[in-house]
Amino acid sequence: MNKFTIELLVANRYGVLNRITGLYTRRCFNIDGIHSYETAHPDQTRVLISSTGDEYIQTQMVRQLAKLYDVLSVSLRTEAQAAMAQAE
Amino acid sequence: MKRTGAEIIVDQLCAQGVTTVFGYPGGAVLPLYDALYQNAQRIQHIITAHEQGAAHAADGYARISGKTGVVIATSGPGATNLVTGIANAYLDSVPMVAITGNVAVPLLGRDSFQEVDIAGITQPVVKHNFVVREVEELEHILQEAFRIANSGRKGPVLVDVPKSVQTDVCESASSLPKKTSALRTLPDLSEALRAIRQCKRPYIYAGGGVIAAGAEAELRALSERLSAPVGLSMMGLTAMPADDPLNLGMCGMHGTYAATVAQSECDLMIALGVRFSDRATGNVKEYLKDRVIIHVDIDLAEMGKNVASHIDLCGDVKAVLTALLQALPTMSNDAWLARIQELKQRDVFPESRDFTPQNIIETVNRFVGEDTVVATDVGQHQMWTMLYYRFRQPRTLLTSGGLGTMGYGLGAAIGGCVARNGQRTVLFTSEGSFGMNLNELATAVSQELPIVIVLLNNGVLGMVRQWQTMFFGERHSQSTLQRKTDFVALAKAFGAEGYRADSLDELEDALQNLPSNGPVVIDCQIDRDEMVYPMVPPGGSVKNILTRRV
Repeated sequence: MNKFTIELLVANRYGVLNRITGLYTRRCFNIDGIHSYETAHPDQTRVLISSTGDEYIQTQMVRQLAKLYDVLSVSLRTEAQAAMAQAE
Repeated sequence: MKRTGAEIIVDQLCAQGVTTVFGYPGGAVLPLYDALYQNAQRIQHIITAHEQGAAHAADGYARISGKTGVVIATSGPGATNLVTGIANAYLDSVPMVAITGNVAVPLLGRDSFQEVDIAGITQPVVKHNFVVREVEELEHILQEAFRIANSGRKGPVLVDVPKSVQTDVCESASSLPKKTSALRTLPDLSEALRAIRQCKRPYIYAGGGVIAAGAEAELRALSERLSAPVGLSMMGLTAMPADDPLNLGMCGMHGTYAATVAQSECDLMIALGVRFSDRATGNVKEYLKDRVIIHVDIDLAEMGKNVASHIDLCGDVKAVLTALLQALPTMSNDAWLARIQELKQRDVFPESRDFTPQNIIETVNRFVGEDTVVATDVGQHQMWTMLYYRFRQPRTLLTSGGLGTMGYGLGAAIGGCVARNGQRTVLFTSEGSFGMNLNELATAVSQELPIVIVLLNNGVLGMVRQWQTMFFGERHSQSTLQRKTDFVALAKAFGAEGYRADSLDELEDALQNLPSNGPVVIDCQIDRDEMVYPMVPPGGSVKNILTRRV
């Protein structure tokens, strides 16, 4: 099992976090940590969610999240990639 | 032009090409119903007996017409009564827009009378939902709702409109919906083409996505080009005519013998517009063994979700098939074709005049036209319909696949019949399923819909009983109904016709005397120990297939 982080850019609307976390719950995936903040663009919010799971879970989560109407973009960072980004 | 929210809703429904809506009025939608009253010549509204029936009717209407179904309900219980119908449409990817009223904006969040958070309740079973807080955003939201419902993988969208938004006024001209964006670019087909050219025993598994994409002709062309037999999912059952020599019928737990065995013997499976439901695959490991699977679907999240397919082509099934057909040569394997025809013989049984489910369904089949819409409820009678009714045209079947909703059939049949302008429609149902929503007989009577309700009545919950017989030591817990309902009298009480049949002769008599302007219930008494075969027990594979004793 690997740690990974999903980085989302979402529409800054009420209920959006509920839609995202609800998706995790009903697909039986777990959230280890979550961080959300308004971006410089007030219509958009950045959400970072860290989880633990294999490649199947990572791929499914990214694809299911991308289907949400309020989600503008999704990207996946594995622990190794996050460490690389930090080193740079 | 100044318009109220209610007028904006009616105008936008018209702009979307909606001519018929299903629903039920109530306190929180009174302004909307007033606008519907004043626009009755533009939009036909059909009131059902219960909101669940309205949601199933909108679903049935959408599946038959190919348009987005629309259902309207009031706040609170009106809205919650829609939930099963919305979930049903979600699991079967049916385009639907549900409009609910809610309490006025200042009363939201205060547990007001008939207030529920219907957006929260429906969140897991819609593509998206909206709560409209200001009348200025109403028109745009409705346009988005229709666009979302009918694009990509289709499905339901709910729009919750507080009463105050319906009465608020805003200055705006009615605007036409924007054209939806063109299809995405095609996926790379080279790997799939290579696999197809190399295969010896191709098999096509086609589902609801083929019908949603309107790719029935391309499916047949591919099957012919590759000499590939076709197994169909329940949602895809009408994608190919039953009499096509390469059509093996339905796959899965109660699929035909030929579809199940051919799947297990193929070296290449081309899966088109399917999601590999557990009911369709059985044991996934066995399902995958010794074959290459190409998965074509419009929903990327379905790729690898249930089955680790080898080649994934995400895109519109029709566009992908068109491109594949341009590149593929004619292929044929006589040994494989001979094997297919041999397997198909295993699904043929000696003829009789016994009053069996198969004979009842085949008799009804002979009495109606090729384009007749056939609805079912859920359970044994549903599986028998899939196995024995010979569908000839796409969009002629209404059945609840993913959710398996007992009580779906009558509402859906009403929607289908309305979509076909009152053409004769058939519903195969059973005592259990019919009992769940038979109040919609009142709707069929008031709308003068000629729905032939064929009750395969065995006095038990047949599928529950079958499983209890097979897997629970014949302990028939709560599945013997012991009701004393007189369905002939019940039909008459609703203002419908009712017949009872205990033999094929009596059934044929009833079918010769069908009313043309209203529903009829034909109560067919069948044996309660009839089983649905073939059956691949849950989690099993072709090795475990149980077939009918002759």
